[in-house]
Amino acid sequence: MRSLVPITIDATWVAVDMASVREIGGPLTWIALPTASASLPGVAAWRGRAVAVTDLAAVLGAGERLASPAGRLRTLYMQFGASTLAVPVDSVREPLVVPDDDVRQARIRTETFCIGEVDVEGHTTLVVDLGVLLDSYRPAVAGVPY
Amino acid sequence: MPPVSIVQVHDPRVRWGVRASGVVRIIPATEWTTPAVDALAALGALPWTGARTRRVIVVRGARGREVALLAAGPIDIADVDPASVLALPAQLADRAPQIAAIIVAPDASLSLLLELAAVITPDDIVVGEELCQSRS
Repeated sequence: MRSLVPITIDATWVAVDMASVREIGGPLTWIALPTASASLPGVAAWRGRAVAVTDLAAVLGAGERLASPAGRLRTLYMQFGASTLAVPVDSVREPLVVPDDDVRQARIRTETFCIGEVDVEGHTTLVVDLGVLLDSYRPAVAGVPY
Repeated sequence: MPPVSIVQVHDPRVRWGVRASGVVRIIPATEWTTPAVDALAALGALPWTGARTRRVIVVRGARGREVALLAAGPIDIADVDPASVLALPAQLADRAPQIAAIIVAPDASLSLLLELAAVITPDDIVVGEELCQSRS
């Protein structure tokens, strides 16, 4: 069985592993870094430290890109090892538990972060592993208070 | 811990600051005769093309040389709680050595704390000056 949290970005449905979700919050205030990438465009403050912000619209190539300092209506704070990501989203749906067999191979996307597809509320929903996005960054150490 | 004094620039592109301990003086732009450094543009932001700046922040650069940073907005000096100065997460810090941290303001807005040593590099020396020094 897999525990997933469905989320939406504009009209795109995505699901993430519930085990990686640490908190679901409201709109995010963040700041863009001139040197950052489109997928990780800036940082936000969370629980006394700075965390990277992920723009799912940029990652998926769908929807309107984030524009600092505003986020979206909801924010997922996700933990991947020592790294935390703040992920602004338009909506968070009710978490669900699905049999492994219900998660089929991703057909609509082939990127490495796309690990499957599942049907949620009649929508084909992409199951993603956002931790893959961090692989190219390979942090040496976790962020610590300055 | 004692507060951290920051000279902040309310730049329309993004609010940024440097540690006050690294600032030599703040003067009218008209009193600085050589081109000032657009620190944000050096980081990759769009160069400032707005109204003419009124002030520059003079800092100590490479080999003790004074370098002026363009202040494209009002300047203030703030004493910031060290707990509000947050180092970048490692995965971004590696790619942004020019940015020391972010600063969380009391209203929860954020600004960038620039790393002077990374922003003011030997490359900022005026072309020709380096050559003259090495020959002397």
